[in-house]
Amino acid sequence: MSLAEPQSRFFRPDRALLIQAAVALATLALVLGPLVPVLWQSLLDRPLYEADPLFSLDNYVRLFGNPRFHDALGNSVLLALLSTLIATVLGVAFALFLERTDMPGRGWLRNLTLWPMYVSQLVLAFAWFILYGPSGYVTLAVERMAGVPLWDMYTILGMGLLAGTSQAPVVYLFCSSSARMADAMLEDAARSVGAGPLRALWSVSLPLMRPSIIYAALLTFIGSLEMLAVPLVFGKPVGLEFFTTFLYMEGLGAITPDYGLIGAAATLLLVVISILLVIQGLLLRQSKRFVTVRGKAQRPKLAPIGRVGWVVCGLMSLYTALVLLLPLAGIVLRSVTSFLTPLMSPFDLLTLDHFEILFGYEAYRRSILNSVFIAAFGGALATLFVAMVALVAHRSEFRFRRALEFVALYPRAMPGIIAGIGMFWAMLLLPFAHVLQGTIWLLMLAFTMRGIPMAFGALSPTLHQIGRELDQGARSVGADWWTTVRVIILPLMKPALFSAYVLLFLAFLKEYAAAVFLFAPGAEIIGTTMLTFWTNGSTGPVAALSVIQLAITALFVTLARRSLRTNKDV
Amino acid sequence: MSEVVVDRLNKHYGPVQALHEVSLHVPDGEFLTLLGPSGCGKSTTLFAIAGLDSPSGGRITVGGRDFYNGASGLELPPEKRNLGLVFQSYALWPHMNVRQNLAFPLRLRKVGKKEQDARIEEALALVEMGAYIDRYPHELSGGQQQRVALARTLVFRPSLLLLDEPLSNLDAKLRIKARSWLKQLQRQLGLTTLYVTHDQSEALALSDRIVVMEKGRVSQLGSPEEIYRRPANAFVADFVGASNFLPGDVVDRNAITGTCRVKLAGGDVLTALWPDNSAPPAGSLLTVRPEHVKLSAEPPLPGPDVNILAGRILERAYLGARLLYTLDCGHGMVVMAETETRVEGDTAWLCFAVDDTLLVRA
Ligand SMILES: Nc1ncnc2c1ncn2[C@@H]1O[C@H](COP(=O)(O)OP(=O)(O)OP(=O)(O)O)[C@@H](O)[C@H]1O
Ligand SMILES: [Mg+2]
Repeated sequence: MSLAEPQSRFFRPDRALLIQAAVALATLALVLGPLVPVLWQSLLDRPLYEADPLFSLDNYVRLFGNPRFHDALGNSVLLALLSTLIATVLGVAFALFLERTDMPGRGWLRNLTLWPMYVSQLVLAFAWFILYGPSGYVTLAVERMAGVPLWDMYTILGMGLLAGTSQAPVVYLFCSSSARMADAMLEDAARSVGAGPLRALWSVSLPLMRPSIIYAALLTFIGSLEMLAVPLVFGKPVGLEFFTTFLYMEGLGAITPDYGLIGAAATLLLVVISILLVIQGLLLRQSKRFVTVRGKAQRPKLAPIGRVGWVVCGLMSLYTALVLLLPLAGIVLRSVTSFLTPLMSPFDLLTLDHFEILFGYEAYRRSILNSVFIAAFGGALATLFVAMVALVAHRSEFRFRRALEFVALYPRAMPGIIAGIGMFWAMLLLPFAHVLQGTIWLLMLAFTMRGIPMAFGALSPTLHQIGRELDQGARSVGADWWTTVRVIILPLMKPALFSAYVLLFLAFLKEYAAAVFLFAPGAEIIGTTMLTFWTNGSTGPVAALSVIQLAITALFVTLARRSLRTNKDV
Repeated sequence: MSEVVVDRLNKHYGPVQALHEVSLHVPDGEFLTLLGPSGCGKSTTLFAIAGLDSPSGGRITVGGRDFYNGASGLELPPEKRNLGLVFQSYALWPHMNVRQNLAFPLRLRKVGKKEQDARIEEALALVEMGAYIDRYPHELSGGQQQRVALARTLVFRPSLLLLDEPLSNLDAKLRIKARSWLKQLQRQLGLTTLYVTHDQSEALALSDRIVVMEKGRVSQLGSPEEIYRRPANAFVADFVGASNFLPGDVVDRNAITGTCRVKLAGGDVLTALWPDNSAPPAGSLLTVRPEHVKLSAEPPLPGPDVNILAGRILERAYLGARLLYTLDCGHGMVVMAETETRVEGDTAWLCFAVDDTLLVRA
């Protein structure tokens, strides 16, 4: 057989190693690209593009001496704690009632509960503002009846409600699987010693979910720390500053941005989130030991809660209506009216002006097209790229594959706004970077970097499920690593690749925080255009853009679900 | 042309040493079986030869060509080795049908379309699976998948066949059928074959020679007959089913007959084979298979060719055609005897031929 002919080792270019090294280096560059400039800048006494800098810790000294930063830090922690509390209580309650009881309406409530995850937090914030803001439709309507305003969204409590309810689905998602896996026998045991069904849920099922609850709570806490939309919409008008808005204002608000201060603040946020992620990782490792996954799928028994179920069902429907459906209806209505007030019937104010503005100006049209292009095309590129990263990390003999996995997962610790600042600064430092500057390709790079951990997480379980002997078999019959990957593994990963693409598409469509420092004329996206309109006080076009983003999302999700259903047995 | 030489192969997994100086020599055309308990390093050895597992040191040569050389750092990637490996789980690619599974190795070798079809048919005919060419793996039974897996490795005419417990997923009946069929096929093709199993009867039935492995080391290498009749140590003896081990002190050694006389704890002196040239080391054990122990109620005739012991019957287990007795021969010595004879009462005489009694290293 000619295949077994001896070949000189010198002349065999190792295709596999070349590809693996290229993927690893690209990942490293993508992650370090924004990270290094931030850390570097935090130690310099002048903007990083200026010559002959001096190293000092002066930036940190100034940062900690800055009373505005003290306020921002305190507000951020307070808001994060509050939204974590709200999200966790709601998410866990959803998980218990939807997964462990026989309450009516579970099917559609389960779906509805997850909806907020598809909607951009920015859009949700605008929608809440239109209804529940200080001059919001509902606020004014209630104020007219009660005589005084009953709530104030320009407070940490108000923001906590929005941030908490918008993140409750994440908690629900994490806890629902552990709720579903919980052994019904343990609940039965509680019942047999005299506990009622609700009591059994409270004292047996809930404690069993503790590892996932803590994990999800940490996730929410991190999410709240790096959140930009809610503080921007509800904090900025009354001068409430947060970690992210501090960075935003320092970077974009000042005429001469204080680079050192931004670098130090960004570094501090990175350190805090990194520490939280390490804690989360340790918890996860520990909690895995307690999970007993049985090979046989057992259908857990649902606790019969009778009439309480109807009450809970009613409350949950009301909740969904108040936090999601009404605000979405409000923003749709706002997009087709010249303004929205309880004093006048919206039907007298109907107009298509906002959409006409959007479609009449090149820049606005472009931002929509750019967003769709980045989501559709950039999402596809990112999916392939992350697939390669996952393949090298899980399915190769590459020497640094463990390190690669670590690097690939690190962007979880990088809030969008910091990724944007870092990329922006990297463009100032790198010699040939100006070709990317102000293009949508730069945005794609930034979004891809942010999206790696999520797509990696979507692909990894499938890769673990594909037996190793399938690639070993291919190798032993004569295929090299790259052929094995192309012909055997990638085809078997198709469903996972599709889900990763869906996730990345939606994430890229929603992303705004990483873009605020990177967009430029010609490279606008929906999110940045919305923020521009918002800053100018033009609520109508913001609502219209939100509606367009929601429509694209809905269309894409529907198509994705349909093709997922028809492709099921491929 | 494809003789296999494995020379002092080592393999570490961190602090665990999975292989310890494993050396093998497989002449061209031989059927060699790696036999041993779970975790002894059989798969590791096989995968090292296939190139799917990187050894930590040693050397592997196939057909005179270095596949792995720890000293020079040479390691041929698996795809360059042209070996046929059959996995315990078959590893048929689920997204390809039988034809595509078999065509893949041929495509890699740039075999023309016509030639591909001819070879695929030929390989499927060999394993009697021609009728299933368009099925997908999940549409085949376990035994059929196993045949296709074998056909997939035969189709590209590998220089060496490596089989990792290929029959362990089949039921007992099918396993025995597949065994003789596999043996026949190997004879017919004359392929050098390395076979991994932890089933001693499978190893005895199939192999030209057997390597018994223990904790990453080669314990004994020999023909099935040698392994069965003359296990080199207590571990091999135990693994091939000699479950009686009696401790004792060697009284003397007769180099001419190749025997030793051993004094047991109770004072009985038995004669055992010791075919070695050196004196048996201290702590050696006397062993005899249960099926070689005869029982009688009356004392048997003593003689130079037989060993005799007295014992108290602890337990009788009914095995169908035979009975398995557990006897206490005093001083903590428990002996099992498998025999057709029925012995009533509490005590019995045990008698076994010197030729069936072996002294082995502990
Ligand atoms: N990836 C690994 N990491 C650490 N130890 C390993 C790894 N793979 C195998 N081992 C260890 O190496 C030893 C030999 O394993 P091997 O798979 O060769 O056993 P085996 O003889 O094939 O057993 P079995 O009959 O169960 O398949 C075992 O002790 C095993 O625990
Ligand atoms: Mg094995």
